[in-house]
Amino acid sequence: MIERDGAFHRRAAPGARMVELTVDGRAVTAPEGEPLATALAAAGILLLRRSPRAGAPRGAFCFMGVCQECAIFVDGALRQACMTPVAAGMQVELRGVP
Amino acid sequence: MKSDLIVLGGGPAGGNAALAAAAAGLSVVLFDEQPAAGGQVWRAPWAGKADPHDSPERREGDALRDALASSPVDLRFGRRVWSVGRAFRVDALGPDGNEWVEAPRLIAATGAHERVVPFPGWTLPGVIGLAAATVLLKSHAARPAGPVVVAGCGPLLAAVAAGILKAGGDVAAVVDLASARDWLVAVPHLASRPSLLAQGLGWTLKIAGRGVPVLFRHAVRRVEGAERAERVVIAPVDETGAFTGGSERSFEIGSLVVGHGLVPGGEVPRLFRAKTRFDRLRGGHVPELDADGRTSIAGLYAAGDGVGIKGAAAAVLNGTLAGLAAARDAGRLSESEWRKRAEPARTAAAGLAPFSDAIAGLMALRAGQVASVPAETVVCRCEDVTRGEIEAAAVAGATEVNQLKHFTRCGMGPCQGRMCGETAAEILARSLGVEREAVGQWTARPPLRPVPLADLLGRFDYSDIPIPKPAPL
Amino acid sequence: MTRVHDLAVVGGGVHGATAALFCARGGMDVALLDRGPLCREASGVNAGTLTMQMTRVALIPYALRAHAMWASASEWLGHDVGVVVCDGLSLAFTEQEAEILTYRAGKRREAGAPIRIVDGREAKRIEPGLSDEVLIAGHCEVDGYANAYLTGLAYRRALIEAGVALHENRAVEGVDQGDGGFTLRTAQGPLRARRILLAGGVWIEPMLAWLGVDLPIKTLINQLAVTERVAPVMQTVIGVASGLLSLKQYPHGTVVIGGGWQAVGDRERGGVELLPERLVGNVRLACHAVPALGHARLARAWAGLEAETRDALPAAGPVPGVNEAYVCGSVHSGYTSGPYIARLLADRILGREPDLPLFPIDRLLAPDPSEGTAP
Repeated sequence: MIERDGAFHRRAAPGARMVELTVDGRAVTAPEGEPLATALAAAGILLLRRSPRAGAPRGAFCFMGVCQECAIFVDGALRQACMTPVAAGMQVELRGVP
Repeated sequence: MKSDLIVLGGGPAGGNAALAAAAAGLSVVLFDEQPAAGGQVWRAPWAGKADPHDSPERREGDALRDALASSPVDLRFGRRVWSVGRAFRVDALGPDGNEWVEAPRLIAATGAHERVVPFPGWTLPGVIGLAAATVLLKSHAARPAGPVVVAGCGPLLAAVAAGILKAGGDVAAVVDLASARDWLVAVPHLASRPSLLAQGLGWTLKIAGRGVPVLFRHAVRRVEGAERAERVVIAPVDETGAFTGGSERSFEIGSLVVGHGLVPGGEVPRLFRAKTRFDRLRGGHVPELDADGRTSIAGLYAAGDGVGIKGAAAAVLNGTLAGLAAARDAGRLSESEWRKRAEPARTAAAGLAPFSDAIAGLMALRAGQVASVPAETVVCRCEDVTRGEIEAAAVAGATEVNQLKHFTRCGMGPCQGRMCGETAAEILARSLGVEREAVGQWTARPPLRPVPLADLLGRFDYSDIPIPKPAPL
Repeated sequence: MTRVHDLAVVGGGVHGATAALFCARGGMDVALLDRGPLCREASGVNAGTLTMQMTRVALIPYALRAHAMWASASEWLGHDVGVVVCDGLSLAFTEQEAEILTYRAGKRREAGAPIRIVDGREAKRIEPGLSDEVLIAGHCEVDGYANAYLTGLAYRRALIEAGVALHENRAVEGVDQGDGGFTLRTAQGPLRARRILLAGGVWIEPMLAWLGVDLPIKTLINQLAVTERVAPVMQTVIGVASGLLSLKQYPHGTVVIGGGWQAVGDRERGGVELLPERLVGNVRLACHAVPALGHARLARAWAGLEAETRDALPAAGPVPGVNEAYVCGSVHSGYTSGPYIARLLADRILGREPDLPLFPIDRLLAPDPSEGTAP
């Protein structure tokens, strides 16, 4: 059985402050400060963008700032989700994902 | 601002280089894009991570972070270095916009990145790197969705599988390019670092104890799925990594974790056109260094996995030696004082060589791996360039990798050729029937990482732009 | 018997490759030599702009014809260089710039470039991505760009089809004259030809020295930058009154930012170092013109060399005092005008009368009149 519809599993610290962010209009809850790519994966959002030439589905791949696959719009600017800490009220826009 | 030394990278090499140089009296500025020191191998957990357990990496990382915090090193974390100029000037984007530092000496310790040899479906969401999984486990308190297949080669395989199990995940299989015999051959050398050997055996036992199948001499044939990875098909390979035609097995998966070793970054020495050579065992092109980490460019030093894959223990020592060399070259350490500090590190580094070679050998690229990439499979993820297009460029007359880039856009995307570079070069060399060395390496270009133009701009008035004299009419 | 070519071209950029192509098509046995692959210096790394608004007035008639050549490259070159013909705008943000722009556009219009001055509102209609800060703009419908990095591949195919003996990665170390021709010395052995064309861009100066001719060539080190692929932010080619910006978005989404901001380097070492404050200045100018560009990320920056003679006009014609030796290059905004000027020179080499005059270098070999006369 595929676990929880493919969402990554994350354990936040007992004292972590959970905050809400918006992903293409949808509310997602995550611990403040968690890398955004992990927060999205834990919410089951693996498909982050489509490749510009082939339109193929892409998601976070290296989780260490190298591959650029997780570059999405955060509060209007293109950011690598794996390098961007979650903040309350963050507006996230995926790229080319319906 | 000016300082005596700039260190790029706060991992085991850069951190120890900064400490050694600062202890010898140099003023040191250390830049890293992560929020804390440790690099990838000793990566710090993010602040909100639930982290009851500890590990040798965690302890070593904490020790480095503590040592740096109580040192006089000017620590600049969360900085994206985008320009490294001669003399040396480093420009970085941080919380307050662009900042720059000048120093007569610079140590590049920018680390390595992972090599993943492409297979059909490797670009699907739900396929992540082996090193990515270590980041999730160590730093993010997260694990990929199960069932997980862990595939590839090298010591991270067992570590990641064990880590996922420990975090409560479900590992469907471990798929190892190496044979059990390859490991047995490596073990005596690995035994030169008993603590790490024990760690490796611990991982293996953990996997065995949970009944996870370990498929030696197998590799991923393809991943299937529409919008994400749903199924992985594996098949047996020979000692070169080429598929033997033996029977395939498939696993339904939540995630595939896959990695085939590490590639030294080396961007900074290449940017300065320091002398390099190709070293297959060390993962790719590496700068030519003396025993203390001096490159062929005066004042430029390099250390750590960014100059050839040797692992964290070697990085600590080589970083220390580079820091001491910078201090000595700056005239802050006498010959005898330098010798006193450097000799132990030099001796220890020599003792590590068998271990480093064994680990690197398990991760080195095998000839059959690249030969097995199908023609229609994407090699350059940023620009969706396939193996077939790279081969067509060879037929059209591309004889080296920078020409390949022009012909196909391979390596022109935002990862700046890091993910595809070594694979594309191997494919080009094979197509031309020449050695890998003959097709060269990407010319390094600034910025070191892509940077949003808006961040570069800062606040400005039009009248502030220093517009030079117009061209002649 | 050693093969003796009718023509040996040294330098495989746009100038050398075009001349080689037309001479071969004109019936000559042509060899082309380059120390590297084709079009890997200025011809392959420039910003690709094909514009009248940065072209020197004296070159406008040439640039117009060259623009038509680029636009029909599929016919005469036969291979794709990614040419897009579109509107071009040269912007003025201040009164002073408006004055410069009006004057310069007027001069270029007199020379034949169909440039008209429009107000900021009209400019924004032509280019919706434009900033509201624009006072006036020069608008020219004869503008556009090529994809410079495809130049080498396109010429390579065309030259091979035309039967040119292509010698990439074969550096010429010197030239000996005699026996009614030239012997080019290379590490891979000598190569003989009856005629020689030196088309080495900034290296024309050391090449002419092989023939005992001293022609000083200034080397410009132009900084360039490109973003990763982004959604459309602009649809025209944009420059500024001073000429120090060139900006366009390619169909695949990348935006190339140029304009001739100078990096550190020289002819011998190439572009050695980009200067971050100049990169920032160039990017500021670009984002001041097209604000939405700020969302894009800078993917790569590099430096490309540009050659300039004393009077900033081309060196294109016979080499004085050396029979059957020619030189072609140092064309300001040479990528735009290069193919036409090289074709004119090919006509001359083939013994035909060129449609427009060449730019013989005799004028540059005489003492510089601006430097005064010796007592």
